[in-house]
Amino acid sequence: MADPIAEFFAGVVRRRYDRLNQVTGTIRFDLVRDHRTTHWLMTIEKGDVRVSRENRRADCTVRLDEALFARIVRGEANVYAAWLRSEIKLVGRLYMLDLFQRVLPGPPQARDPRPVARRGELRR
Amino acid sequence: MSEDTVRILNGNTFVVSDRRGDITPSPEFPTGLFSFDTRFLSKWELSVNGERLQALSVDDLQYFETRFFLVPGKPTHYVDAKVSVIRQRSVGGSFDEQLTVLNHSREAVDLVIRLEIESDFADLFEIKDVRNKKGNVYVRPEHGRLRLGYEREAFRRETLVSSTAPATFDERGVTFDVRIQPHGKWVTWLHVTTLGTRGTEIRRSMHGQPGTTNRQLRRELESWLARAPHLTCQHESLQQSYRRSLVDLAALQLSPLILGASNIPAAGLPWFMTIFGRDSILTSLQTLPFTPELAANTLTLMASMQGNKLDDFRDEEPGKIMHEWRYGESAAFEEQPHTSYFGTADATPLFVILLDEYERWSGDSQLVGLLEPEARAALDWIDEYGDLLGDGYIRYQTRNERTGLVNQCWKDSWDSISYHDGRLPDFPRATCELQGYAYDAKVRGARLARDFWGDPEYADRLEREAADLRARFNRDFWVEDGEFYALALDPNGRPVDSLSSNMGHLLWSGIVDPSRAEAVARHLLGPRLFSGWGVRTLAVDEGRYNPIGYHVGTVWPFDNSFIAWGLWRYGFRAEAGRIAAGMIDAAKFFHGRLPEAFAGYDRELTRYPVEYPTACSPQAWSTGTPLLLLRVILGLEPDGDRLLVEPAVPTSIGRIELHSIPGRWGHASAASG
Repeated sequence: MADPIAEFFAGVVRRRYDRLNQVTGTIRFDLVRDHRTTHWLMTIEKGDVRVSRENRRADCTVRLDEALFARIVRGEANVYAAWLRSEIKLVGRLYMLDLFQRVLPGPPQARDPRPVARRGELRR
Repeated sequence: MSEDTVRILNGNTFVVSDRRGDITPSPEFPTGLFSFDTRFLSKWELSVNGERLQALSVDDLQYFETRFFLVPGKPTHYVDAKVSVIRQRSVGGSFDEQLTVLNHSREAVDLVIRLEIESDFADLFEIKDVRNKKGNVYVRPEHGRLRLGYEREAFRRETLVSSTAPATFDERGVTFDVRIQPHGKWVTWLHVTTLGTRGTEIRRSMHGQPGTTNRQLRRELESWLARAPHLTCQHESLQQSYRRSLVDLAALQLSPLILGASNIPAAGLPWFMTIFGRDSILTSLQTLPFTPELAANTLTLMASMQGNKLDDFRDEEPGKIMHEWRYGESAAFEEQPHTSYFGTADATPLFVILLDEYERWSGDSQLVGLLEPEARAALDWIDEYGDLLGDGYIRYQTRNERTGLVNQCWKDSWDSISYHDGRLPDFPRATCELQGYAYDAKVRGARLARDFWGDPEYADRLEREAADLRARFNRDFWVEDGEFYALALDPNGRPVDSLSSNMGHLLWSGIVDPSRAEAVARHLLGPRLFSGWGVRTLAVDEGRYNPIGYHVGTVWPFDNSFIAWGLWRYGFRAEAGRIAAGMIDAAKFFHGRLPEAFAGYDRELTRYPVEYPTACSPQAWSTGTPLLLLRVILGLEPDGDRLLVEPAVPTSIGRIELHSIPGRWGHASAASG
């Protein structure tokens, strides 16, 4: 299977995000696997998102386990809950994590509430 | 329990104790020292020579500090104490208590002063049953201090207690063996720090601004009060509740971590000291003429936390405005959905309404431009994800069947929405006020699109949709034989035919057909709904009516403030004044601080408003109530760059002057009569 992290970032740079139009900033992910750290740097410039593998200074640095990050970018783990569990070490502007959260997908099994409600699938 | 407690707070850090200053664990009520939704102290009990103390008096100095005067012995004793104790405490960056023991006799006394200390590190959502913690609690007496801790995987919370006077710490507390000279005193300062992961102070560990010192808090409170409009009137209860509201609004302010140092109103003490979409938005609407910065901060925060994906556990959808955020263990381990939870069907249209109302007062077109994508996404949500059945009405039904909210309107208790015969309708439900908010959001969104976003076509479309919604609503929700709007539509489109206060919000939103406004006003002030103090949540002849039922018969001050605003909007000035007068009269019985709710008994029956048993106090939107009522009776309304003033003040209130009302006009004054 392809690298889900690379795949995720490739998808992010292809899209445009209206809600990032007014913001600028950088966030670097330091991903740890077997005592090795790899880096992803995401730069938001007024709606444009660029991604590189540079280990450069950023407004916000986020250090976490690579496997956890892979689950986050697939929508399987929630980034805020992981942060509250202290599984993410964050240095710098917390606001950047909020911006990053906006480009994350939801859980893969999430349902559109409309067909669910129209089919009367929910109990209560 | 709730009224016997003494509470101090600073942001989401607060202490709830009894009138002696002691903290004793309670399964019903959140007593203790709390911060970031975790209890850091569950026991804090003082004794002198083995005897507990009794309170002579309690001084509420400021919302963040208080002082207890105590003597040893049981309350039944005749007080002839040789020794007395003063506890002065505050919450700033930490919890601090100055303990002073005075010897009133002519001989020296030897005392064993003991403080029992414990923490269960309960999450605010497990107060009622703290037995099954998944992590480990530990206690470590260290040199000169006591460390209490809780650890679950990498999640850690610690309480560190130290003292300036020599002390012996053990696993259950701290002991001071002291000798006090004749007419002498002994003093110690107890310092309690709340730590998060990696042993740093919790706020700092969450990347927040450092905690505020008492001196800063005092200065900020003074400046807050000085900036607010100045009220002159002869009516004592109005004056008192105005002042109380301003102080409580200062107390309830929270600076959300991602906003830096900007404050928004938290919802209420002690259960709701966090960010709530609905509560923050409605409080900002109530307080706009007085403290407009709350609205700007709330809008910015809500925009930044807006939903952008589908998530069943969190009831999240793109464009939806959030409901509730929490920092505690249950949120961290996803036992609760509060990171963020989106189970609210009203916050999204209310967000658009607040943005428009804020601009009309402040003239801040920059923020309207900045938040255009979020406002458009919110307007889209109304017609897309909000319209669950595709019949053109906002409905709700949680997809989180374990911890989601059943009712996602302001009446969010399980039995709040019922038919006249008491049956509960199926889901999804479309409560009436949601449709009113949707209508108002479209009308206001159209103004924003035309005047600020340069999109007249979108404005036209929104106006057409609003007109269509209004026509359909007046057809589908009107209960012909009762001459009122149904509380809701059930999933089959049938009216949920209860008479309720929700109709007042319909007047506020403008969706009511003018030909029906008089019937609605007559009901709101009629004997079935109006108690003499205010409008009941549910009429007395409804199947589920209960004068002390949370949303099925009690009177909610905030609800009444919006009903008064609605009556005013349709020209029922005298009726709006009656509600305002009833609320201001009620406030007198609570020393100016309106509670979350009080009982729906007839005013004639009880003569005083009976507080709802577990009501939150202060609660933000109750605090905002006197302010919105002032706006209504003074008839304040922005009109371009002018402030219109059309007072209709009840004669029982008398003459009112309000000076320095901030807005796009600079500062304006308003006076009645």
